[in-house]
Amino acid sequence: MNGFKTSALALGLAAGFASLATDAAAQECTTKIGAVLPTSVDWGKPIAATAQYVVDIANETGGVAGCQIEMVLRDTQVDPKVGVDAAKALVDLDGVQLLLGAVSSGVSMPILTSVTVPAGVMQMSCCSSSTAFTVLSEDGKTDGLFYRTFATSGVQAAVGAMVAQEKGYGSVAVFYKNDDWGQDIGGLVADDLASLGIDVTASIAINDGQASYRAEVTEALKGNPDAIYMALYPKEGTQVVREWISLGGAQNMIAANALRSDEFRDNVGLQYLGNFTGTDTASPRTESADAFVAAYTAQFDGPPNGPGLANSYDATMIALLAMHAAGEGATGADIAAKVGAITDPDGTPVTADAEGFAKAKEVLDGGGTVSYQGATGNVQFDKNGDVSAPAVTWTFSENGIEEQKYISLTEVNDFMSSLN
Amino acid sequence: MIGVISYLVFFATVASILSIAVLGLNLQWGNTGLFNGGVVAFFGAGAYGTLILGGTPQAGQMGGFELPYLIALLGGMVISGIVAWVVGLLTLRLRHDYLAIATFGVAVAFETVMRNSDWLGGAQGIRGFERPLRDALGNGFSYNLAFLAFVLVVLIGIYLFLERLIASPFGRLLRAIREDETAARSLGKSPSRIRLTAFVAGSVIMGLAGGLYATFYAFISPQDVLPILTFQIWAMLIVGGAGNNKGAVMGTFLIWAAWTASGWALSRFAPMDVQLYTGSIQFVLIGLVIVGMLMWRPQGLFPEKLVVSQSAKDK
Repeated sequence: MNGFKTSALALGLAAGFASLATDAAAQECTTKIGAVLPTSVDWGKPIAATAQYVVDIANETGGVAGCQIEMVLRDTQVDPKVGVDAAKALVDLDGVQLLLGAVSSGVSMPILTSVTVPAGVMQMSCCSSSTAFTVLSEDGKTDGLFYRTFATSGVQAAVGAMVAQEKGYGSVAVFYKNDDWGQDIGGLVADDLASLGIDVTASIAINDGQASYRAEVTEALKGNPDAIYMALYPKEGTQVVREWISLGGAQNMIAANALRSDEFRDNVGLQYLGNFTGTDTASPRTESADAFVAAYTAQFDGPPNGPGLANSYDATMIALLAMHAAGEGATGADIAAKVGAITDPDGTPVTADAEGFAKAKEVLDGGGTVSYQGATGNVQFDKNGDVSAPAVTWTFSENGIEEQKYISLTEVNDFMSSLN
Repeated sequence: MIGVISYLVFFATVASILSIAVLGLNLQWGNTGLFNGGVVAFFGAGAYGTLILGGTPQAGQMGGFELPYLIALLGGMVISGIVAWVVGLLTLRLRHDYLAIATFGVAVAFETVMRNSDWLGGAQGIRGFERPLRDALGNGFSYNLAFLAFVLVVLIGIYLFLERLIASPFGRLLRAIREDETAARSLGKSPSRIRLTAFVAGSVIMGLAGGLYATFYAFISPQDVLPILTFQIWAMLIVGGAGNNKGAVMGTFLIWAAWTASGWALSRFAPMDVQLYTGSIQFVLIGLVIVGMLMWRPQGLFPEKLVVSQSAKDK
């Protein structure tokens, strides 16, 4: 009997926890959108804050399709189970038609296959880079609902190889973060270097959270490379570079955008980064990108130096504008269908701020199309929802992070096709 | 309203799948006293096995044998059974904490191997699995409902099987080994063989749970088999009550509900300016639930029922 009571209690609690839903009737016209981002991870918080910032901008200009936007933010804990559950709750309980997220491809993928595609909800990821999404889309499994503003790793890998060629390095050792992003980019850059005739002396996986990477660094030193390429995050990158320098490695370094952080520069020390070149897919030479940097700096008391911030900004902007174009009560498929009207190269150019947002809404209301000039440049999606983007190289300086060279979209495309 | 039902179906499916894994652990720890710290290895072996056997071919990857679903699921169970058998032979002479450390190591090794083997999906994981009967049931709510029914049938089947098992002489033998191995041996039993049997049986059940999990998401990647899953499954068993199958199932529903509902409640009720920190707050809350449970009711919600033998009861 006691057992029965307890089991009733447990069931009741479980049901109660799970179904406390559906109160909060909207007082005014409010449209909910969902965001599933790893807010319990340090670098995930700014990505979420940036998305919220865009929502605030949109609301300032009078909202989207006549309604204020409320972004419901859920943490993924970088755990696929938790992320998928959060996405499912947003879709089913909050009825969102637009989902922003996730960051890790290993979380975005099950959300896409088991939540957003079956429910017909549009999913816009700021930061998932895995080439698996392209393949999935080519197989026709995404129903055109998936977009991302993070260029596939191909662009950065190609630019990394381009830097190595320009600097005249004859041999390069590759360090890559041992996850989907790192394996992807590490493999691509090794192929690109090889096709440029540059010797890849080693490709070494760096696992997270090790106390020391001495063994990995020693392995790389054996080949005596002219330079190292790093597709690493700041924490592991710092340790690898420290050990690399202390064991006598050359200061010639090339790195993917994940190391674009002041924390990395400060922890390694600027004097050891004399010949460091980073790559990124952003396009900071355009006015709109400068506007983003200025607006972000004013809003958050610091420049946008973390990974994925500009991408998160553009993802949210484009998604909200598409939502506006699709009109009130639009479904995920309606919104996804309107993305092309936001990133139309022949459309009216609009900037990525409140003024541009308002102007874009006007043009869209009049049945026109706009060319969104975003924080990552003039964003354009291909048929798989992937972005092709211009690239930049950057380096560290006393004042922070400085762009070195702008590589336009055509240059990137020409270079990439010359590799094959 | 349909949204709430749809979510509850989804929630119940995930919780039921996890329950099956917790039942497998309960056979090992609750009944036999084997401290398996590597639940994810056997869960993952079943998941990978099912997708490799039942999935469609992918460039550069092993698998895509496109076997009928039930055979693929069974194959996943066999694979996790084989893994458990090998691991059991190597480690089961160890006791308690040593066994826990050894099996934990196996689980970490499993995840690392998967992450680094491109032919097993690498860090990108395994895609290209067609959920069974998708053409007949569509991709939406009715499919999820049907899948929940299937998972519930499996869960009830496993539950009844385990209830019968632990009430049988074999179940008494398991408890005898758990309580005093030397005494069991003195009665002519072979503890090492029985321990291995229980270990493999429990792991096969975990493999079944893994197979169902991978089916439900039509995807598996190394991110699904991180040590956090072992921790979650242990927390469910401890809170529910080790040694009691009903407790194992209830504990799973309760912990998974707390895990997901805390995130939901925080996203809804936390003030705007702390929204960014709800992820971290949620971890604190989940920790509090588990610690509170251990302080308030360390034997779990449903403690094991002590079984007194017939002859002793008469006196």
